[in-house]
Amino acid sequence: MLKIKNLHVKVEGKDILKGINLEVNAGEVHAIMGPNGSGKSTLSYILAGRAGYEITQGSISFHGKDLLEMSVEERAWAGVFLAFQYPVEVPGVSNIYMLKAALNGVRKYNGLDQLDAMDFINMVKGKMRDLDMDEKFLYRAVNEGFSGGEKKRNEILQMSVLEPSLCVLDETDSGLDIDALKIVSEGVNRLRDPSRSFILVTHYQRLLDYIKPDFVHVLAAGEIVKSGGPELALELEAKGYSWVEDSKES
Amino acid sequence: MSALSTHYLDLLKNVSDELTGKDFPWLGSLRQRSQESLLTSGLPSLRDEEWRYTNISAIEKNEFRLSPRNLTVDQSLLDEALLDHCHHLVFIDGYYRDELSSSQSLPEGVTVLPLSTVEKGEQERQFKSLINSSFDDESEHGFTHLNTALFTDGVLVCIPENTVVEKPIQLVYLASSNAPLGVSNYRNLILAKAGSKATIIESYYGSQDMCYLTNAVTEVVVETNANLSHTRLQVESNQAFHMGGVYSTLEKSAMFSQSNFTFGGLLSRAEIHADLGVESSCILDGLFVGQDKQHLDHHTRLNHKQPHAVSQELYKGVMADRSTGVFQGRIVVAEDAQKTDATMNNRNLLLSERANVDSKPQLEIYADDVKCAHGVTIGQLDETAIFYLRSRGADKKMAKNMLTFAFANEMVERINLEPLRHKVMDELLKQFPQTDILKEWL
Repeated sequence: MLKIKNLHVKVEGKDILKGINLEVNAGEVHAIMGPNGSGKSTLSYILAGRAGYEITQGSISFHGKDLLEMSVEERAWAGVFLAFQYPVEVPGVSNIYMLKAALNGVRKYNGLDQLDAMDFINMVKGKMRDLDMDEKFLYRAVNEGFSGGEKKRNEILQMSVLEPSLCVLDETDSGLDIDALKIVSEGVNRLRDPSRSFILVTHYQRLLDYIKPDFVHVLAAGEIVKSGGPELALELEAKGYSWVEDSKES
Repeated sequence: MSALSTHYLDLLKNVSDELTGKDFPWLGSLRQRSQESLLTSGLPSLRDEEWRYTNISAIEKNEFRLSPRNLTVDQSLLDEALLDHCHHLVFIDGYYRDELSSSQSLPEGVTVLPLSTVEKGEQERQFKSLINSSFDDESEHGFTHLNTALFTDGVLVCIPENTVVEKPIQLVYLASSNAPLGVSNYRNLILAKAGSKATIIESYYGSQDMCYLTNAVTEVVVETNANLSHTRLQVESNQAFHMGGVYSTLEKSAMFSQSNFTFGGLLSRAEIHADLGVESSCILDGLFVGQDKQHLDHHTRLNHKQPHAVSQELYKGVMADRSTGVFQGRIVVAEDAQKTDATMNNRNLLLSERANVDSKPQLEIYADDVKCAHGVTIGQLDETAIFYLRSRGADKKMAKNMLTFAFANEMVERINLEPLRHKVMDELLKQFPQTDILKEWL
C-alpha cells in the first residue's frame, strides 16, 4: 500500500530525514517511535503533503501512485488521513460542515454520489456515540475551544467518517488522560481492517498498550535505526532512547 | 476641494420642480444655503484629510441626472431586497412608490412616511426640526450639501414616547435598469422619542452593470432611554457609486446599534457618526467585502461628548482581487466625557497581492479618566488552517473560501433579527459563487 524509499528531507537547509525506507502493507499497524527532534512529525507531514519541506531524494508510492506528486486534498481523497498532534482550530466553520465537505470530496473522487443529508447526520451521530462525544460538538466551530482530549477525539471522528485506507496518527496520545486514551484507542481499534493500514507516531510506549502494532520502528536523528515487533517498544520503554542512539553510534 | 463641474451647476439650477417639499419656504431656503455651500466647497478631493484614501473624481466626470418618476423596476430585484415580516417603504430611482410599499398596522401614533407626502402642521414641524440637526461643522461636505440641495425623497420616522415598534421598518432603495446615470438623493429623518424602541433597516439594491449614483443621508435622534437598532445593507450594482451617511445624536442613556454591510458598488463610502450623551451606549458593527476593482470606504466618528458613555466598534474587511478597503475610525473624547469606555477594532483580510486596505484609527482624548482601546489587523488567511482543511479533502479554493466566509460570517452572526441575518448571509454567500457553502450546514 505504502512504499517509502530512501527518503531524504531538508527543512530550511537542514537535513531532517536521511534515507527513510518503510513498507506498509494493507491491514498492518506500524508504530514509529523516537525521541523529540528525531523527525517523526516531519514524516507525518510529508505523508499528508504539507508545504515547507524540501524532498532531496527518494520516493513515496501509495496504492502504486506517486504520492509526492499529489496535492494535499488529492491525498485525502485517495485515502491518506493525518490525525494531527495539534488539531487546528477553525473559527466559524462548523464541525458538521467540514465533515460533510470532506466526505463529499472523498466520495466525488471515488465516483460516488453525495450522501443524503439525513443519512449523513445519522451516520455521524452513530460514530459520535461510539467516541462518547456530545452531539453539540457537531454544530460547534472545528476544534474551537475544545479541550486537548476533545480535539483528539474529533480527529478520530473525522477519520472514522472518512474511512481512509492509510491512517497516520501523529502523537495522538499526547495530552490525553487515561480515560480519553482508552476511548481514542478503542475508536482506532474499531477501524482496524484488513484493507486499512496505520502508522502510529509516538514518543511513548503507552499508546501501544491499547493499539497493538504489528511492527515497531525506532527513528533517531532522521533515520530508522531499529525495527522489530511489539517487543521492541517494551525494550525501548525499559532501556530508554539512549539505548538505540548509543547502539547506532557503536 | 475642487470647483464643481458645469454639469452639476446645471443640475442644481434646473431641477427644483422635481424636488420634494416645494410648499415649505423654510426648506427652500435650506436648499438654497446648501447649494451655496456646495458651490463654495465643491465635491471633496484627495487633498481633504477625511477623503485622502478615496478619489471621487469618477463621480464628477459622470453626468448624473435626476431620473423620471414611475419607471418600472425588475420584480426580481425588488423580491431580492424585501425582507419578510417587516413594514416596507420602497423607493425607486429617487422616488417613493406607494403601490410597492406596505406599512399598515403600525402602532398608534407612530409616524413612518415618505418625505414627499409630509403635510403642513405637525409633520412639517418634525421634518424641520430634524433636518440638518445631526450635523456639525466637521461632518458636512460636498455630498451632504448636494443631498440637502437635491433630495427628492426619503422618510420621516417618529416613534412616540415609550412606544415599541415590534415589526422592523425596512426602507428599500432600488436603482432600476431604466435609469442609466441616474442620481438618487435620499434623506431619512429618524426620531426615537424617550423610552421608545424600534428597528430600522435601509437596503440599497441596484440592477447589475448599471452606472448610477446613490447619495443617501440619514439623520437619527435617539432620545433618553430609547433603543434604536439601525442597519444599512448596501448591495448596489457593481458599476454604481454610493455615498451614504448616518449622523446620529444619542441623548442620556440612549442605546443605538448600527450595523453596516457593504457588498456592492464600484465606489462606495459610508459615514457613521454618533454624538454620545451621558450614559448612552453605541455599538457599531461593519463588514465590507470587496472584489474586482471595488473601492469600499468606511468612515466612523464617535464623539463622546458627555461622561459614562460606552461605545463598541468592530469593522471587518475582506478584500479580494484588486479591490481597496478603507477604514477611518475616529473617537473623540471631550474633556467632560469622564469614564468613557470606548473600544474600536478593525480587522482586515487581504486575499490577493493586489488587494489593498487603508486603515486609520484615530483617538483624540481630552479627558483623563477614560478607557479607550483600539486595534487594527491586516492579514492573510492562516496557512495552517488551509492545510488542515485540505488534509480533510477540501480543495484549496474551497478551503480558502470556507475560512474567508467564516471570518466575515462573524459579523453576520451578530445580527439578532433572523430574516435580516439570513438575507445578509445570502448576500455574503453570493460573494463566494464557486463554493458550495450551504447555510443549513453552517
